[in-house]
Amino acid sequence: MSVKIQQQAAGDVVDHITHFEVASFLTREARALDEERYHEWLDQMLTQDIVYQLPTEEVRYRRDKKVIGTAQTTYLYNDNHAVLSMRVARFDTGFLWAEDPPVRIRRYISNVDAMWAEVPGEVDVWSNFIVYRSRGQRDDSTMYGRRKDKLRKVDGQWRLAGRVITLDQRVILDKNVHCFF
Amino acid sequence: MKPINELIQQDGAIQDRSIYWDEDIYQKEMEHIFARCWLFLTHDSVIPETGDYQVTTMGEDNVIVARQKDGGLKAFVNSCTHRGNYVCFSEGGNARSFVCPYHGWAFGIDGELDDVPLEEQAYFNDIDKQSLGLQQVRVESYKGFIFGTFDLDAPSLVDYLGGMAWYIDSFMDVPGGMELIGPPMKSILNCNWKNPSENFIGDGYHVGWAHASALEIAGGALESMKGLNDYSPDSGLQVTVPEGHGFGVIWDAAAALHPGPPGIAYQKWLDQRSPIVREKLGKTREKFYNGHWDATIFPNCSFLYGTNTFKVWQPRGPRQIEVFTWTLVEKEMPEELQQMIHADNMLTFGTAGILESDDGENFENCTHANRGFATRQGRVYLGMARGRERTDAEMPGLVSDGWVNETSTRGMYRRWAELMQGTPWAKLSVTAKTDAYK
Ligand code: FES
Ligand SMILES: [Fe+2]
Repeated sequence: MSVKIQQQAAGDVVDHITHFEVASFLTREARALDEERYHEWLDQMLTQDIVYQLPTEEVRYRRDKKVIGTAQTTYLYNDNHAVLSMRVARFDTGFLWAEDPPVRIRRYISNVDAMWAEVPGEVDVWSNFIVYRSRGQRDDSTMYGRRKDKLRKVDGQWRLAGRVITLDQRVILDKNVHCFF
Repeated sequence: MKPINELIQQDGAIQDRSIYWDEDIYQKEMEHIFARCWLFLTHDSVIPETGDYQVTTMGEDNVIVARQKDGGLKAFVNSCTHRGNYVCFSEGGNARSFVCPYHGWAFGIDGELDDVPLEEQAYFNDIDKQSLGLQQVRVESYKGFIFGTFDLDAPSLVDYLGGMAWYIDSFMDVPGGMELIGPPMKSILNCNWKNPSENFIGDGYHVGWAHASALEIAGGALESMKGLNDYSPDSGLQVTVPEGHGFGVIWDAAAALHPGPPGIAYQKWLDQRSPIVREKLGKTREKFYNGHWDATIFPNCSFLYGTNTFKVWQPRGPRQIEVFTWTLVEKEMPEELQQMIHADNMLTFGTAGILESDDGENFENCTHANRGFATRQGRVYLGMARGRERTDAEMPGLVSDGWVNETSTRGMYRRWAELMQGTPWAKLSVTAKTDAYK
């Protein structure tokens, strides 16, 4: 039995082959990052026009929607390909004392839900994550959150074109979020 | 706890390691420093309209600061006077009242107790609401920067800033003033609060070493510092004032951590504003306006003018702090420039910042090495350029050549020791007047 893949309307759940490809991509991407294959990530898994964001969200009352003062969106990450490359270049300098000895990071990606996006051929993908970091001999932390990704095929391969990360902690209960989600 | 003159010795050059670890010393700090000093709360620009408020902490006391109907400010402790519950659970917003979720007591934005459920039926109208307002905090602001203190005997905020006010005017007193862009980033560091305060007040030394990887990729004016092999003491200055505040400055480097187009736009702005600063504040402060500063307002409010990161280190026990980070910009800067500076600040000193992560590791480890009993019996050393401080005819406090220096750091510990002895305000050191600082 052959499954016909066809573009549906925006918001439609993707067919199961596309779902499988997208989910596999996210797993492969997570492993590439776990294994510090950052250049492969930049060159083969991201699109050139990627927008990679991690906005902060204030703890506010549900009813209180007023934007106060100079409040804007504060992003922990608000990166394009060049800025992400700069962060990766920092790992290559040999002066990044905090990452030597290496930090062990394990990413768990789940709850993958994919729908066709507005732009034909693009897919909106939601996923939840757990990121576990272990540093030195016994310093560790765990972060939980969600990602909303935009994936697009380039030369027949899925690539990440956009990511908005939501961290569930308002006060980051760790010294930094110096890792990719 | 050892006597204070054993904890801090040699004019602030020697610190006993127990001050970064011991619980009893920390509790004394809460009493003698955080319950007495003026502490940064927020900025005018963050809560401009009636009912706008922010929740923050002073030491470990949870505090609400709110804009009043008359445009003034009030701050009060976020703890219900009935049974003590918090009355506000958001971190900020706009409110007409704060209603306690336990039994429904309602407090106004001025902290007064307005309404008590069943006042007639259960209290038989026999309750003195006037005496049951939220505990008030004394509030004052300087050029839009809002501070609070629990100490009614403390001098005015401007006197508390002392000689530091003369210096910070270099940028706070520009037309339109400054503002803070939020919401702040917030994160935890498992370090003593003094580690970051001392780092920002005067650790120019670590920049070339700890941040070598970031300096290499960011390039720009500071890249030559990388690996600590190129530096001249003529390139900057350190300043300390007896009130405990201080900073280091690198001349002509305000825009140094903004590589590329943002740096060019920022430099253009500085060039355009400099004549106004010179006209208003004189040549020396024009020089400060164009410099890059690392500074701390004692005890726990730090900033980098130029990079424009603005931080508060909120103590959470002797070995933990909560870090709040805003972006500092001139109000009259074009919005596009403000945005670029905001973005650069997050990239460098945000929670995912490429410089921030270097610092966090060092702060935590400088605290945690002291867990060892034998280690903790020892001392640490801040003797760099000791004895080279001088007074200046114009600049208040003590100055010393070179931004790689430990002059301002020693000053911070001298103040710490003075306060920890419980010295009354009238006996605490103040900045001597100069021709310029009156
Ligand atoms: S504790 Fe607040 S109303 Fe009772
Ligand atoms: Fe630093």
